[in-house]
Amino acid sequence: MAYMSMGEAHRRITDYLNRFSDAVSSQDGYSFKSLFAVSSNSHFLLSLADALNLFQDANRLIKQSDHFADIILPLFRSLQNYRQGNLLETYHAFEKTANAFIQEFRNWESAWALEALYVIVYEIRVLAEKADKELASNGKSPEKLKGAGSLLMKVFGSLAGKGSKRVGALYVTCQLFKIYFKLGTVHLCRSVIRSIETARIFDFEEFPKRDKVTYMYYTGRLEVFNENFPAADHKLSYALKHCNPQSEANIRMILKHLIPVKLSIGILPKDRLLEKYNLFEYSNIVQALRRGDLRLLRRALQDHEDRFLRSGVYLVLEKLELQVYQRLVKKIHIIQKQKDPSKAHQVKLEVIVKALKWLEIDMDVDEVECIMAILIYKNLVKGYFAHKSKVVVLSKQDPFPKLNGKPVNS
Amino acid sequence: MSCPIPAATSGYATPNSHPPQSYQQFWRQESSSSALPSFQPAAVNSGSDHDGYWKQGTQASQIHQTNPIQPNYQSPLDLKSSYDKFQDQQKTAPSQATTYHFLPPPPPPPLPPSQQVNPAPLQSAPASDTSQVQIPTNPRIASNLAFGQPKAEKDSSTTNAAPKPAYISVSLPKTMEKVSSGDDANSILKPGAFPKSLRGYVERALARCKDDKQMAACQAVLKEMITKATADGSLSTRNWDMEPIFPMPDSDVVNKDSSPSSTPESLLPKYKRSPRRSKSRWEPLPEERPADKSASISNDTVKYSGWVPNEKDRKVVVENKGSKEDGFRNSKFSSLIQRTTSNKTPQRAFKKPRLADAFASENGDASSDSDKEQSLASYYSSAVAFSDTPEERKRRENRSKRFDLGQGHRSENNHFRKRNAGAGNVYNRRASALVLSKSFEDGASKAVEDIDWDALTVKGTCQEIEKRYLRLTSAPDPATVRPEEVLEKALLMVQSSQKNYLYKCDQLKSIRQDLTVQRIRNQLTVKVYETHARLALEYGDLPEFNQCQSQLQTLYSEGIEGSYMEFAAYNLLCVILHSNNNRDLVSSMSRLSSDAKKDEAVKHALAVRAAVTSGNYVAFFRLYKAAPNLNTCLMELSVEKMRYKAVTCMCRSYRPSVPVSYVSRVLGFSTIASTNEVCDEKDTDALEECLEWLKAHGASIINDNNGDMLLDTKASSSSLFVPEPEDAVAHGDANLALNDFFARAPL
Repeated sequence: MAYMSMGEAHRRITDYLNRFSDAVSSQDGYSFKSLFAVSSNSHFLLSLADALNLFQDANRLIKQSDHFADIILPLFRSLQNYRQGNLLETYHAFEKTANAFIQEFRNWESAWALEALYVIVYEIRVLAEKADKELASNGKSPEKLKGAGSLLMKVFGSLAGKGSKRVGALYVTCQLFKIYFKLGTVHLCRSVIRSIETARIFDFEEFPKRDKVTYMYYTGRLEVFNENFPAADHKLSYALKHCNPQSEANIRMILKHLIPVKLSIGILPKDRLLEKYNLFEYSNIVQALRRGDLRLLRRALQDHEDRFLRSGVYLVLEKLELQVYQRLVKKIHIIQKQKDPSKAHQVKLEVIVKALKWLEIDMDVDEVECIMAILIYKNLVKGYFAHKSKVVVLSKQDPFPKLNGKPVNS
Repeated sequence: MSCPIPAATSGYATPNSHPPQSYQQFWRQESSSSALPSFQPAAVNSGSDHDGYWKQGTQASQIHQTNPIQPNYQSPLDLKSSYDKFQDQQKTAPSQATTYHFLPPPPPPPLPPSQQVNPAPLQSAPASDTSQVQIPTNPRIASNLAFGQPKAEKDSSTTNAAPKPAYISVSLPKTMEKVSSGDDANSILKPGAFPKSLRGYVERALARCKDDKQMAACQAVLKEMITKATADGSLSTRNWDMEPIFPMPDSDVVNKDSSPSSTPESLLPKYKRSPRRSKSRWEPLPEERPADKSASISNDTVKYSGWVPNEKDRKVVVENKGSKEDGFRNSKFSSLIQRTTSNKTPQRAFKKPRLADAFASENGDASSDSDKEQSLASYYSSAVAFSDTPEERKRRENRSKRFDLGQGHRSENNHFRKRNAGAGNVYNRRASALVLSKSFEDGASKAVEDIDWDALTVKGTCQEIEKRYLRLTSAPDPATVRPEEVLEKALLMVQSSQKNYLYKCDQLKSIRQDLTVQRIRNQLTVKVYETHARLALEYGDLPEFNQCQSQLQTLYSEGIEGSYMEFAAYNLLCVILHSNNNRDLVSSMSRLSSDAKKDEAVKHALAVRAAVTSGNYVAFFRLYKAAPNLNTCLMELSVEKMRYKAVTCMCRSYRPSVPVSYVSRVLGFSTIASTNEVCDEKDTDALEECLEWLKAHGASIINDNNGDMLLDTKASSSSLFVPEPEDAVAHGDANLALNDFFARAPL
């Protein structure tokens, strides 16, 4: 940090204060919001923090000049602490700022300061995450993010009204989702979702596109957990369709969840897509589905187990096994048809067992019989199983119905 | 807050019981100034004054602040002969004098005066801090004090004061503490409206009373407090919400004495003193906090003494201590006193009980005690004997009687103290902890975590191995809590016991309770929970198992060793089979380490999971037969569901029929997995069972030409149903079934 004179420090602080009051009096949301972005590392705020650290008497200045002292005082403390790397204190102070800001925000009739509120909401989450990291590294229990969650619920409450501010509610909701997903307390999402989707004051189309995409992404993920694939498909596809094509990282995140959903309703992605978004972890799985190669599927699952578990799609992918079996039986059927069309609809159990042996999958007759029974039961195979002769008797019409966007019967 | 208070009381009380001589003797031996004839009271006084003096003008001046209470004060003080002298010297307000008595001796030997007193810090220390501080008793400190004092005295001998006594009296009675805190609050609250909070306070105080006697006693105390508060004008200014509730007065005593003054007597003087002091304490001094805490927490004097050498540190410490005034020092002292007294054999009968009572909240580790300390303590106690009225004495005697029982066990460890203290004390202690935490929340948010819970923990003394479980409805009584060694034996007893599960469950629950109450969390704890979890599994007591399981999770996560893998497997199975929540499942799977995945039990559990999610009944029942540990028990719980699903599946996909023998084999009815030539008896039994099961679920069975039974799949597919379980109970918990209830009764 370059040397700074007292006068310079004083100038910077008053400069900030002037900007603040100017923004408020002219209701200039855009310049207003930049005043709160603590973690943005903007030059303006960093130099202000330096000035604050040098100039001890800033409080007096604030009190003189501004009636927003409740907001600015803790904000300055937050900035100072952020500059010094005390993340926990940064968060604590910023929390105070946020509370004071919400107070003021409620009083402003119009939504001019919505942008600033967004910044504050964002900062709360980010600073809480940082504070938690600091806490964890000190061996203490990280709990700030949790606290941030309840603070954001409060913010949500201040937006969920009839006025023009309500369009901000979805942004807060999305930040809440991020917190809940990070904390692993996704069940908390339900209450917010309910108020977004059922409250009459909200018209989903009216929200900013950015928030809608985020919202659909997270609710889609929730549907994946519930194994409600059609709904998950709808939501994630919406997110994909409306996502800014420039932000490839976001698209990739959406695809990570959308691909397994699509796979489980029988729709396979093109290799090009996987290549473009660098989703190679799925390529073997897709391959396995095409070939009916159970071994390949299992290996792919094993190879990327951690990744799939983390993103929560492991169980979805594992259920693809049944489709792989279906594919395998279908292949056997096709081969038999070429050999002897008259007997093609009878697939002997021992043939399937042998095929699996070639795939180095060791299953005995009982188990394969069970799998066949399940395939028939789930309507992946039409036909019946004759226990006495150990033969799968396939229906002559469409023995292997395609899923065509419908989930496997369960 | 309450912690120090009780101690203080005892400090007061003790003097009566103890002949002053002991003190004097001590002094003669150790300190040059001991020769003073009219020592005791005077000593106290002078001591405090002296202390203040020694500490420089600053403190003195602060202390001098007007004392509305003075008159009350003086009466006790008057006893002290040297008091006047002191006044001359210092012009200390009488109240100050008293207050200062309570101050512990100046930190170790010769500190430069400048370091010692920092008025500002003094103000900041909340009462709560003090109490916290009190908990740790450091033998070393004590000894330090003992040594250091004489020197100080010598230095200041001009003043004639015997500093030590002053310290002793430092331990403030509870009331005083309260007042002080209240006063602290004063500074914050603007005087004005009549406090609603007072009503709340009264309610709280009375709510504790269990019977009329206690009620009466409490009322007496309250009355006195309120009168007093009205008199000195603090009634409306005090923050009653913050006011710790005074210790439950001994109802018996009060009744017997019935003279209302008895309570007030002991309480009042202290009362008045505190207000003045507290005033400035609450001013925020954020930077100081950490230091405060550390100082207060330090169970070992080590810290204290360790700090002294370092100039900077020392300063901080001293400041803090100074700031807490009596708080820190008091606590040390009171504990010191307590320790010493308790160890002194001759005086024990008398002192201890009282002390224990008074110190209910106090939790020093009274490990080492030197003669010096003892004598010091006795001296102190005698010195403190302000209110030696007949009533007071009576009360004390009464109190002391209460503790006669526990005497036999007294030893160096603090167990005895706690035991003596009995449940009531524990209650106080806990209450004080709560108050502490509450008051801390206002200030530094972290403070609550820093409360020294260790010091508040009960140490059991019960030697019985067998103990029935009884859900605690009040603070645990150390006399009925078993220490760790006994619990170990109890566990072995349960493990080798031939009795039924209900008995074992009861025993284990009581063991768990004793562990919890004593906050023992080690391998023994893990063993107990593991044992209980296994037994519960075998018996099918899921609620109990879940409790144990969740406890085990936290215990393992704390790094305590145990059968981690085994229970990780159980956990997985639980999630798979019961919660049916994919997210939970995924998260518990992702938490498994790669080591864990290699473990037999965990592998098995994972395989079960795969079988369940894919509906592979064949695999499931194979795993069911080959389950390690008690995995079977958990799987058993979903066997019925799995079988039903399997049969529906079969009925849908098999045509025209399936032999029942096959169903029986595949669905785990028959014990022997593979086919044909098996010992007929078992096979037929299994077949019968399977047949019954199928019939019970509405399957239609036909006989083929050979006489083999077949499941008619087509007919069955529409007629299958899940029968009502025969042993179903209306409220859903079979464990609460009436029959079970009766079965349990004779136990």
